[in-house]
Amino acid sequence: MNRRVFMAVAAGGAAKLAEAGAAEIPDAIAKLRPMMDGVRPITAGERRARIDKAQRLMGENKIGAIVLEGGSSMFYFSGTRWNPGARTFALVIPAKGEPAWVVQSADEKRAIHHEMIRTGSDVRVARDDADAFKKLAQVLRDRGAARVGIEERVRFAVYDGIRKEAPSFEFISADPVSAGCRVIKSAAEIALLQRANDITIEAYRAALTTLREGMTQKELNNNISSAFRALGSSGDAMAIFGKYTAFPHGSIMPQQLREGDLVLIDDGCSVEGYQSDITRTVIFGKPTARQRQVWDLERKAQDAALAAANVGATCESVDAAARDVISKGGFGPGYKVPGLPHRTGHGIGLDGHEWTNFVKGNKTKIQPGMCFSDEPTIAIYGEFGVRLEDCLYITESGARMFTKQSPAIDQPFG
Amino acid sequence: MQTADEFRARIEKAQQAMKEFGLGAVVLEPGPAMMYLTGVRWGKSERSFLVVIPAKGEPAWVLPGFEEMRARELIHAGSDIRVWQEDESPFERVAQVLRDRGVTAGRVGMDEAARFFVFDGVRKQAPDLHYVSATQALKSAGVDLSQPTAGRGRGKQ
Repeated sequence: MNRRVFMAVAAGGAAKLAEAGAAEIPDAIAKLRPMMDGVRPITAGERRARIDKAQRLMGENKIGAIVLEGGSSMFYFSGTRWNPGARTFALVIPAKGEPAWVVQSADEKRAIHHEMIRTGSDVRVARDDADAFKKLAQVLRDRGAARVGIEERVRFAVYDGIRKEAPSFEFISADPVSAGCRVIKSAAEIALLQRANDITIEAYRAALTTLREGMTQKELNNNISSAFRALGSSGDAMAIFGKYTAFPHGSIMPQQLREGDLVLIDDGCSVEGYQSDITRTVIFGKPTARQRQVWDLERKAQDAALAAANVGATCESVDAAARDVISKGGFGPGYKVPGLPHRTGHGIGLDGHEWTNFVKGNKTKIQPGMCFSDEPTIAIYGEFGVRLEDCLYITESGARMFTKQSPAIDQPFG
Repeated sequence: MQTADEFRARIEKAQQAMKEFGLGAVVLEPGPAMMYLTGVRWGKSERSFLVVIPAKGEPAWVLPGFEEMRARELIHAGSDIRVWQEDESPFERVAQVLRDRGVTAGRVGMDEAARFFVFDGVRKQAPDLHYVSATQALKSAGVDLSQPTAGRGRGKQ
């Protein structure tokens, strides 16, 4: 789970509060030091190899080219970070030949002169959107592509603009190519994910020392953000207290921490674009027998998913393994609450949620290089919820957690 | 803060525009059009959260099952809420809504900012419809599409 964008938006107010109270940053956070030393960005050579693989997958899937707007896939293949805005800014990667860019004149200076574009030298400058769609259609014709893959997040307006300029072309999902590449992580990518996970654990460790009676979720949010900043990254996490922990994405209701509340924190940070996503659920004070029992069951479910995530197993079998533990514990079945109302995990990489998921119906076979979250929830509306989330990567010899799992309800870190 | 009546009036105006532009329905993702017409802000994520506004009849919502309670805190326009579970297709729900509202042929307007996978999912479930941009109809109904409305709810973009 993560809702970083929501937090980034909501943090407009929170950031001001944090500045105003800068002198009050707790010691545990103030003494944190940056953890960014030795981070190795993805090399130009690795990006080139990604494009080679994309071209091979295009051949296999009979796709003549893929079209991308700014976002994680564009960054993945080209190293260009571009926030998609109103103006069309697109990259075409053809099955054969060089990639080509279509940018608008208003973006030309930033894109070309500031060297935002490093992949390929075919850059075509358009006057406006209408001209950009013409030029995109022309690029496709120049590269001989009539069956065109559209990256999943390209806006309808861009697809619609291109198809009007090239009505005889066929437009299909680019997922077999973009997801086909991105779902398998290299050693360099796993190292970046590892760093993002390590930073997140240290941020959470420091922030959880600041729990106090009467604290608001907002104060804990601020402490987590401050910790990420002190560690040299930027990140956030939602914080949920008490009965609201039953809602997987929390509640807008204001909350104050009370003795005996469960505290749930969830999200992470990014390193060179690679995301972490970690959840801890911990008791503030002394747990009841019921809280401990449900927490222990949750941990067993998380363990069962980890044990099932073997090379060659289906993704759905991992979900079934976790769900089975929860059902046998008297919750569910299926998505029924009290129980596990969502999938057991999602893919993670440049996006916090990406292909492929531990979910019923997903018969994709697990392969080395895949990365997932392992996060069954037990949600008991009106009482509380428990979620433990760690991410894992698949090696030839099985799944490895990026982080040490939480050992007990009063011990968030292993 | 707009009242439920104001949103109803906005939806009626949009429905009038749909008829003028020959659209049987519009399909909206979270964003400025959804915000203007229904007051609902929601973060875009890989889990589709959509509203279908037909030219005739009530709007219908298609959203993730486990978000239903949180979504109900926000939704006032229309009471037809259809959830999809994690192993189900939101686009089957959209296609069912279109059939239920009598939209079985002709043109459907897509939110210009809808992501390709949403459009692609819907067209696979309802392949006989013709999908065009909803922008002209929405603009003529007074919808301001330029306002950024990153919303509550989780999203990653």
